[in-house]
Amino acid sequence: MLRVRATFKKTGRAKYISHLDLNRCMLRTFRRSGLPIWYTEGFNPHPYYAFALALSLGFESECEILDFNITDDNMPLEEIRDRLNAVMPEGMGIVSVALQEQKITAITKAEYSFSLVTDNAVKLMDDVNKLISGTEILIEKKTKKGIKTVDIKPDMEIITCEKTEDSVDIVMRLPAGTQTNYNPMLFAEALKNSGAEPFEAEKFVRRAILCDDDTIFK
Amino acid sequence: MELKDKIEKHLLEVQKPSRYIGGEVGSVIKDKSKIDVRFAFCFPDTYDIGMSHLGMKILYSLTNERENYWCERCFAPSEDFEAIMRENDIPLYALESLDPIRDFDFIGFTLQYELSYANILNMLDLAGLPVFAADRGDELTNIVIAGGPCVCNPEPLADFFDIFVLGEGEEVNLELIDLYWEMKQQGATKTEFLRKACHIEGVYVPRFYSFVYKDDGTIDHLVVIDGAPEVIRKRIIKDFDSVYYPENFVVPFTEIVHDRVSVEVLRGCIRGCRFCQAGFIYRPFREKHTDTICRETKALCENTGYDEVSLASLSTSDHSEIDPMLTKLIDYTAAERINLSLPSLRVDNFSESLLEKIKKVRKSGLTFAAEGGTQRLRDVINKNVSEEEIMNTCSIAFRGGYSAVKLYFMMGLPTETDEDIVGIADLANRIIDLFYSIEDRPKGRGVQISISCATFVPKPFTPFQFEPQDTREMIEHKQKLLLDSVKTKKIKVSYHDPNVSQLEVILAKGDRRLCKAIYTAWKKGCKFDSWEEYFNFGKWIEAFKECGIDTSFYANRRFEYDEILPWDHLDYLVSKEFFIRENKTAHTAVTTPNCRLRCSGCGVNKKVGRDCFC
Repeated sequence: MLRVRATFKKTGRAKYISHLDLNRCMLRTFRRSGLPIWYTEGFNPHPYYAFALALSLGFESECEILDFNITDDNMPLEEIRDRLNAVMPEGMGIVSVALQEQKITAITKAEYSFSLVTDNAVKLMDDVNKLISGTEILIEKKTKKGIKTVDIKPDMEIITCEKTEDSVDIVMRLPAGTQTNYNPMLFAEALKNSGAEPFEAEKFVRRAILCDDDTIFK
Repeated sequence: MELKDKIEKHLLEVQKPSRYIGGEVGSVIKDKSKIDVRFAFCFPDTYDIGMSHLGMKILYSLTNERENYWCERCFAPSEDFEAIMRENDIPLYALESLDPIRDFDFIGFTLQYELSYANILNMLDLAGLPVFAADRGDELTNIVIAGGPCVCNPEPLADFFDIFVLGEGEEVNLELIDLYWEMKQQGATKTEFLRKACHIEGVYVPRFYSFVYKDDGTIDHLVVIDGAPEVIRKRIIKDFDSVYYPENFVVPFTEIVHDRVSVEVLRGCIRGCRFCQAGFIYRPFREKHTDTICRETKALCENTGYDEVSLASLSTSDHSEIDPMLTKLIDYTAAERINLSLPSLRVDNFSESLLEKIKKVRKSGLTFAAEGGTQRLRDVINKNVSEEEIMNTCSIAFRGGYSAVKLYFMMGLPTETDEDIVGIADLANRIIDLFYSIEDRPKGRGVQISISCATFVPKPFTPFQFEPQDTREMIEHKQKLLLDSVKTKKIKVSYHDPNVSQLEVILAKGDRRLCKAIYTAWKKGCKFDSWEEYFNFGKWIEAFKECGIDTSFYANRRFEYDEILPWDHLDYLVSKEFFIRENKTAHTAVTTPNCRLRCSGCGVNKKVGRDCFC
């Protein structure tokens, strides 16, 4: 049995597919491909596949991870890729297929980019810098136990923060994985709550899924 | 800003945004510059409901088989997205190209149920088009058409449409588009096109017909102008086994009501239940061969990736090859790990081996559409289900581990008395007694009977088309009587809102004078009337009042046999004489055998020119 890890993209119109719907969509994609995917052997056998991380509705990405098993040991990885790509919905596709190396628990963070579109980029840039250089960035996070106030500042890593004519473009890393997940929209929320220049946060992209040592998860 | 950008700017603010952006597997994208005719197939309800509609899947694929025609899908937006569309000048658009449908050549609606009528006006308005056909000008583009079962009495919508297509669309739709394309090249006007189109069999152009009414409100006579045919006959596919069937469906991302492959196994019905419109307007009975059904099932499963198949028909058990067909299908679906769902299947006459196989795939509960509480009433409505059959099947099911039974009934049927209502509770009680009389019944669980009671809605093209509907007071009395007759918690009773059924009958049996009232109701904000949370009967009543419509004239009056009915000029192959005969027979509580046992002379075979069973 091949333990396969596929990197797939979810772009364009496909960014409006919710995670729940993506699950169903993948199941049907596998069925259309006719690949010999491994089924669970319980009382109600179903094809086994798992997403490393959920991607928020409206986010684009070219680095999403999907694990599954192929029962044919001799199947070339390129064939798996090509057969899936032939039956994928618009905006989605397999970027690469490899064998699973690390455990899912190795994922600790992810890198995101997004744009804060505004009428006054100079002022907004100042507001962003003020927020970043402060002592804490408090956000309200919905958990199973209710709403919790969290300081994301210690775990947040700004990679770039650039001003354009009508926006401030940010690349940042935030905790992701089986332990903690912070959504970059929470940062935009915190910025809004800080009384910053009005803006619209858009073009959210997950750029990389990373391990603790900043290497790409494989 | 391009329309797509405008849409995307707000898409994340709404529920289930994937319904509004297209891009699904199986959707057909074409190069606009190579297209001669564009067709917007509109379903007057939300995506989740419309995408489940089989007719749309068939006609969508069929039209798109033609290289130079492009058929796209369009649905009613939910309230949240409609508000955004209106606020931001986003006109109603089709899901494939995201182009506004007002630029399309054809805007086609399917009329599946009366309660969607207000949505049609709302969609035309969202598209930026005048809702009344007379206000849309005489330029050829666009033609607003409708098909589907409710077209058998389209009069309440006559003022809004250019064309109604009667019957099955697989052939006539293309004939209509072909004629349109030919005349478009010649620079024809809409009137010129409609004058020619009305001579295609199945094409009804309401503007060429007008009604003259008597003082008592009934129809005096029909005036036909411009040489249009006096009678419009519905279209049928003669060779059903070889009729076009899609090899692919659009596979939605979001979950829809019927989220599975659907394969049509037969059309028409041999049963002749006297309340059932579908049982008459889809005649004659025609079926597909086992091999065809299996081939279509396999192609659709492979191309869509669905892991569930359902057989579509009015009564799958009436297929002449039911045993071999199911055997072959189950062999395929079991091997491919596909769920086969068999809705409303009668299991009484199956072989033991097939029964075993069905048991393995069948997970749904046990449901009976008994419709009437006593044998007398079931005879009146010609629902040929006997209590013995119900008991037998329940007994098999209880032994097989079932402990819940669902029973469907109608209330307000012709000749119904209090005794028939009490009979509903009695029948449920006897099923409970049966459960406890069975030695090897499921242990540890009690039996649960769910009774669901709808209010009877007399429909055109049925033997009950002449019947009045019970008034609200009569229905409320019967509902109370039923509740009082149920004395155990093992029986649960649920109802439909009688106001909904009243609106249904008015729209179903109405005439052209209702157009104004539908328009007024929509103006008052009526839409999504089939959704409980939106249905506002008060506004409908206001609209009828303002338009001078006496609702009881349509809902609670017996239509005379010799009266000209608003749908008399439409020919659905079954003769009016037959309906009158059946109506009289119903009132003597005598049944009519099914078509396979004996031909009852409904007239279809004479008009089609061949026997129904050969």
